[in-house]
Amino acid sequence: MILLLQYTLLFASVLILVALGGCFSEHSGVINLGLEGIMVMGALGGALTLKYISPSTPALLIVLAVLAASILCGVLYSTLLAVACINLKADQTLVGTALNMLAAAAATVIVKSINIAENPDNVSSNVQYVQTKKALVVNMGSFQFNWFMLVALIALIAAYVVLYKTKFGLRLMACGEHPQAADSVGINVYAMRWAGVLISGMLAGVGGIVYITAGVSEWKFEVGVAGFGFLALAVMIFGQWKPINIGLAALLFGFFRALSNVYSGFDFLAALNIPGSVYNMMPYIISLVVLAFTSANSRAPKAEGIPYDKGSR
Amino acid sequence: MADNNNYAIEMLNITKRFPGIIANDNVTIQLKKGEIHALLGENGAGKSTLMSVLFGLYQAEEGIIKKDGKEVKINNPNDANDLGIGMVHQHFKLVQCFTVLDNIILGVETTKYGFLQKDVARKKVMELSDKYGLKVDPDAKIEDITVGMQQRTEILKMLYRDNEILIFDEPTAVLTPAEIDELMEIMRNLAKEGKSILFISHKLAEIMAVADRCSVLRRGKYIGTVNIADTNQDELSRMMVGRDVQLVATKEDKEPGEVILHVENMTVPSKLHHNNAVKNVSFDVRAGEIVCIAGIDGNGQTELVYGLSGLENCSSGKITLSGKDITHASIRERSTNGMSHIPEDRHKHGLVMDYSLAYNLVLQRYFEPQFSTKAGFLKKKEINDYANKLIDQYDIRSGQGAPTIARSMSGGNQQKAIIAREIDKNPDLLIAVQPTRGLDVGAIEYIHKQLIAQRDAGHAVLLVSLELEEVMSISDRILVMYEGELVGEFDPKTTTPEELGLYMAGAKRKEIGA
Amino acid sequence: MAKSNKPSVSRAILSKPAVQSTLAALLCIVIGLLVGYIALLLINPAGATNAIITILKNYFTYPSKQAAMKYLGNTLVKAAPLLMCALSIQFCYQAGLFNIGAAGQYVAGAGAALFCALQLKLPWPVCLIAALLAGGIFGIIVGVLKSYLNVNEVISGIMLNWIGLYSVNMLLSGVKETASPYTVQIANVNSGALLPSLGMEKFFTNNKYVTIAIPLSVIIAILLKIILSKTVFGYEIKATGIAKDAAKYSGMKEKKNLIITLFIGGGLAGLGAAFLFLSGYEQWSVTQSSVPGMGFNGIAATFLGGLDPIGTIFASYFIQHITSGGSYLDKNIYPSQISDFISAIIIYLCGFVLFFKLHLNSYLRRTKETAKEKTISSANNQEGGKKE
Repeated sequence: MILLLQYTLLFASVLILVALGGCFSEHSGVINLGLEGIMVMGALGGALTLKYISPSTPALLIVLAVLAASILCGVLYSTLLAVACINLKADQTLVGTALNMLAAAAATVIVKSINIAENPDNVSSNVQYVQTKKALVVNMGSFQFNWFMLVALIALIAAYVVLYKTKFGLRLMACGEHPQAADSVGINVYAMRWAGVLISGMLAGVGGIVYITAGVSEWKFEVGVAGFGFLALAVMIFGQWKPINIGLAALLFGFFRALSNVYSGFDFLAALNIPGSVYNMMPYIISLVVLAFTSANSRAPKAEGIPYDKGSR
Repeated sequence: MADNNNYAIEMLNITKRFPGIIANDNVTIQLKKGEIHALLGENGAGKSTLMSVLFGLYQAEEGIIKKDGKEVKINNPNDANDLGIGMVHQHFKLVQCFTVLDNIILGVETTKYGFLQKDVARKKVMELSDKYGLKVDPDAKIEDITVGMQQRTEILKMLYRDNEILIFDEPTAVLTPAEIDELMEIMRNLAKEGKSILFISHKLAEIMAVADRCSVLRRGKYIGTVNIADTNQDELSRMMVGRDVQLVATKEDKEPGEVILHVENMTVPSKLHHNNAVKNVSFDVRAGEIVCIAGIDGNGQTELVYGLSGLENCSSGKITLSGKDITHASIRERSTNGMSHIPEDRHKHGLVMDYSLAYNLVLQRYFEPQFSTKAGFLKKKEINDYANKLIDQYDIRSGQGAPTIARSMSGGNQQKAIIAREIDKNPDLLIAVQPTRGLDVGAIEYIHKQLIAQRDAGHAVLLVSLELEEVMSISDRILVMYEGELVGEFDPKTTTPEELGLYMAGAKRKEIGA
Repeated sequence: MAKSNKPSVSRAILSKPAVQSTLAALLCIVIGLLVGYIALLLINPAGATNAIITILKNYFTYPSKQAAMKYLGNTLVKAAPLLMCALSIQFCYQAGLFNIGAAGQYVAGAGAALFCALQLKLPWPVCLIAALLAGGIFGIIVGVLKSYLNVNEVISGIMLNWIGLYSVNMLLSGVKETASPYTVQIANVNSGALLPSLGMEKFFTNNKYVTIAIPLSVIIAILLKIILSKTVFGYEIKATGIAKDAAKYSGMKEKKNLIITLFIGGGLAGLGAAFLFLSGYEQWSVTQSSVPGMGFNGIAATFLGGLDPIGTIFASYFIQHITSGGSYLDKNIYPSQISDFISAIIIYLCGFVLFFKLHLNSYLRRTKETAKEKTISSANNQEGGKKE
């Protein structure tokens, strides 16, 4: 039971981080379908940090270093989306998709190259971090507290404050709702959208490292992050682009995702003898159902997905 | 009145070119301190471009701008704002899901450690609101308030920024007559307090009522500036169009025939709010008459037409077209049963902008045996021939004729294409929604003639218009719509714009004998 | 006059949409390869030049003509399903839909085809139809969710990709080899389910995987081109894609069209999977945990092909060519995914194609105007000359 709670919280943390990323991007007016790819790149940055950092480094330092690396990779990678969608007015769906594929390919290429360089016979795309991963968790009885749970909680509160209580949030949302209005009062729409996308890169990058360190101690980069970026988008839509609702939606989705990891630990579930694939499918089916019920009346930012052109008023 | 040589803003010899056209050709406007200066011109005369130059949205190729006698450069709206220039745009620049207060402070927020200090802002807004009589609810969301209050929000936005030069771009288009009076009063107040106002309009009566001086533009050229006290509407009108215009269309008296469109207790739900947009409406349109739905924008006219054309489902009521019940008929069935529809938004509904003119001209008929084979293939040659016929007959001008992409055509010719398509179907009923919006005088005259020709040919015409002048001049019968209901029926020969105005504003209503 | 003639001719050629698309595609390819080359240099500078040539040469690596033809066959075997996925995405894009669910529709088609072939022992035409229907049904789900419940087709498509993957893993676990996670060879259980070759294998040095799938996919591409440009249905779905509201206004059943489009799109992707798996070239692994990349690579081929079925034929071949070429790299130096990397770069660059065309056109307009002005001013000068 505690294991289920632990995984629920972990996966919910991932979803909160990534969905908030999507939320910032969309509030600024850019649909970020490349979250999945950004997660992979963030995960790569974090995983390599874990791989190379000495296990004797103080735990707190490891956590911070991993966070910093993931954020850096996520932010850098999201600039590709920002340039294409904001400055060059590319199709946001196409670019997002391209970034997902690019991240999967690039991460595999990078990891394999590193592995081959170390040992020409190792052609796998795995990164191992058995020892250093321990720094990320604190055992509290049988419950493993993960520092990233705290990070997600802080991100959630910060997102709420930033969006609703600050000048930046007000301006950001104005750009996603009515960029012409924002422009007419002297707000630089391009700059705000850049900010929105970079923040989404930061959050999704962290989400990526949290995802791949949940449970396992090594990650095979060929498999990417299994559609989690898109699950996060479903969470965001379910949460109607509001941080607090996103937090609650993430808990629900996190629960179903956690179930597929630990169902065999429950006697009555194991007794049902349902194939593992069914549990694996669960989060996706749930999100499809949830989307079917919530999309019709969605309050998406009005100008999202539409490139802003100063000339057209 | 201010001192004669004391100009707040001068725009001297401004020239602004766009690919293919000269939007402003050596235009000079001088705005005195504390005056209300009207800028008059037809659609496309270059008023908006000139104001965009002043507001820093465009840069002029030639000419200079002076503020208080000193030359200034305005490269973006921030520069304009720093110089104390504010603008109420024709289409309000308000964020719908923000509150009034948030919209006012957006861009000039007061903060402490990065956090918004809304209480300070609220106090200042309320003071301004009291001082100038601009009543608003600072915590209401824009999407929930009336257009009048939205406009007051826009004015407060300028005042909150301590702007001294206020530009009003066509501010009365969306207001009821009573709200227009209120706005005029506000403008006079502002001028009295020392603000200088540029008032852009093509409505002569309003200019005569409120302005001190008036500058006129025609086709990008500066025509002249006159003192309102020394002029009259006729002179202004001549300056604006360059000739005497007969805006009253001529048409013979005609006895209407049988009922073509019969609407009984129609109700259409709204997409914007939980209320119904059209409430229990009943009326008839007969063969050989033009019935006009008059009203202020946003009183359910759009939804009424959506309900009639099938774009939206009616929640109750009955619609009959030439004796046939079409209440639940599809859009296509209504169309093939003799209904034509010139839509309000020609870009969104009327045309497939990236299709050729030829393809657009068969948009309502491409499935007919004349234009497609039984196997489902298009007959391209027949489509082209038909398009060329319409292009000749209705004088539709375009770069390359039938293969021209609709997007590259001018607004007037796009509208002509739609009208040609809809009229050539030979409909029993023609629904035309604001068919002349945004067009120049020539195109307006042309469209009015076509509508009257339809009536004279014995077809029923239902016209939805926001322009009282148009309503008065071409309709045979006027129905006024207010908040989703028909509140009065009038004969254009016996009513006056003032009387209609009272009904349009909801001040009066009477029963309609449908 | 004669002087100014030349640029105006090149201008006329440049302003043709097909020429622009081809130019843009070539530009994307060149930049994509360049970035790929840089990546190879970073990994190991010594062999980078050889490596990029290996990718580009693909089967030409083999010195003997026989071997080259045989492996050309292999590339074509995989290019056919890729083309089908690309066509699926392309067709839906015409109606304004981004069918990223093609990957899942492909998976569904694979599941249906293999289930019919291995479990039910049905002949190949039935398997093909089953694959088409399975993919089509996946498409319909996306279509219904989109048109009636306003669900973004990209997100629902992705969800269905994963649902499809796990479902097919379950479905096919009954027909797998006992010792491996792969499905049994079709040839061993039900050779009647293998697609016929009609003697084409001879051309490809007896490559038995070369089947009617390859010409069929090209025929389907041409068929789609005809449907899009010549039929009422094409007129309707393009109108729906460009201007949804105008389509509705003119009485087109836009919801119905949308669902039909996605059914066809899904069917194409499903058929594509059958084209691959019923050739016997590949077996399905019931433990795979990531969605096959065919559907995603289809996106690259679609956009590289300038969103035109005929262009897509060439683009699909190219993408498959470099993907197959990647497998000839020395695995102990370079990862074969470098090809995927290049494809992804190309898709990313395709996002800029519109931007490229926009600027090319505005440049052409500008030069045209200046040319015009010049002629006018020279004409004026002549007139003025006369007056003087």
